[in-house]
Amino acid sequence: MVVYWFIMINFTDVKKVYPSGTHALNGITLRIEKGEFVFIVGASGAGKSTLIKMLLREEVPSSGLVEVNGYNLNKMRRRQIPYFRRSLGVVFQDFRLIPTMNVYENVAFALRVTNVANRDIKRRVPYILSLVGLVHKAKSMPEQLSGGEQQRVALARALVNNPQLIIADEPTGNIDPELSFEIVDLLNEINKVGTTVVMVTHEHDLVQQFQRRVITIEQGRVLSDTAALGGF
Amino acid sequence: MRGSSFGYLIKVGVRSVFKNRLMSFASIGVLTACMLLIGSAGMLSLNVNSIVGYVEDQNEVVVFADDNLDEDELQNLDLDLHSMDNIRDIQFISREQTLEEFNEKSEEGLGFEEGDNPFPNAFRLSVDDLSRLSETVTKLQGLEGVIEVNAPTDIASTIVSVKQAVYIGGSSIVLILAIVALIIIANTIKITVFNRRKEINIMKFVGATDTFIKLPFFVEGMVLGLLAASLAFFILWGGYEYLVTWMDGNQSALFMMFKDQIIPFESIALMMYGAFAAGGVLIGVGGSMIFVRKYLRV
Repeated sequence: MVVYWFIMINFTDVKKVYPSGTHALNGITLRIEKGEFVFIVGASGAGKSTLIKMLLREEVPSSGLVEVNGYNLNKMRRRQIPYFRRSLGVVFQDFRLIPTMNVYENVAFALRVTNVANRDIKRRVPYILSLVGLVHKAKSMPEQLSGGEQQRVALARALVNNPQLIIADEPTGNIDPELSFEIVDLLNEINKVGTTVVMVTHEHDLVQQFQRRVITIEQGRVLSDTAALGGF
Repeated sequence: MRGSSFGYLIKVGVRSVFKNRLMSFASIGVLTACMLLIGSAGMLSLNVNSIVGYVEDQNEVVVFADDNLDEDELQNLDLDLHSMDNIRDIQFISREQTLEEFNEKSEEGLGFEEGDNPFPNAFRLSVDDLSRLSETVTKLQGLEGVIEVNAPTDIASTIVSVKQAVYIGGSSIVLILAIVALIIIANTIKITVFNRRKEINIMKFVGATDTFIKLPFFVEGMVLGLLAASLAFFILWGGYEYLVTWMDGNQSALFMMFKDQIIPFESIALMMYGAFAAGGVLIGVGGSMIFVRKYLRV
């Protein structure tokens, strides 16, 4: 299989059967190009979570090929995983902020793991926090923030390393509808500067509002793949 | 890894002790309590051993020589005794000396005249290892020119039994306490790490390497271990000194008899702190590393 330079994500006939016997993915084939904004939708149990786990190299396929940002995840060794993950930005539904670190440290942590010098951290973190409008909350602890603010911190953490790909797993699932729009709008802005965004969601309104490519998953297969207006 | 990152991770590890103060308090408490129990059992065992050792050292064996031995033969017997193992402090007591001592102690008129001296020449000696007393006595009896050997075999076997009981009992208590302590500590650390599994998981998703995640836990385990060791050490020291002073003030007959055999804490302080610190760090660091590993497989 030849992977073209413009391909960010390549799934070829990916199947996943868990040890319990559950068939989570039943032969998914899809390609997402660099710079795209893609919504992945589907009902609960459709296979979205497994798909995300594959993208993060949390799970490996039972068969088929998974390539992300030029990395062949099937062949990846355990010690290479951290370096691969540094090329991604991940946003989760439950924010996953470190509760013992303040906002600044949570964002800075993503830079620290990549051995970025302190002076660069001091320059980069305030800049990213200003992009998500939270520079004034730098010293707050996660528990002192609202759901929307926590998700913006998570987004700042995902962005701080200048990733080429942002994976957002139901990022609006735990926040108010009016703030959901704000979060997706931020992702939209990030996408405009060339970052690929893959967002898993089940919120139809958001998908229809932003009119982006929509991949619908059902029973571990791609049910539809549409480039424009709503319709799933 | 960059120097600044290394410094940062050490800082994070130390800070974690205070940030997770409830679990740190629990870990230090459990570790300290366990070390105190083990330390106390160890101190008790050492002191009993020292007292028993002292009693053991007081043993005396008397070897009576044949009256018919001339000076050369007595000298040969002396040489034979010196060449035997498990024997120390050999002292020759001539029959004249014994008579003199006897007459001094006897009431007027009950002593013996020099011509009627009933005492034989003798050697007074001590054995090194009381558990081999019977074997040594048999060897002594087999020497040429020896007519009789007087040895405290009954007392010796009692002392040997007490010593063995102290050794086995002390070791067993320390071993049982150590196993119980390990189980409790392992569970405390397990809960500590379990509470922070999400934190570890997040670190993995932002691309942290296993070493990057483990280092603060390593430092934290070390700090907790050292804090617990220091706490246990000073409490044990204070408690021991208090107990010795209290017993000294009470002037109990038993204590006064063995007062000199009580081991001064200062003499084993360094060894005790070394053992506590090594144990604390080993358990703190080892425990953390084992349980953190489980959550690194993401």
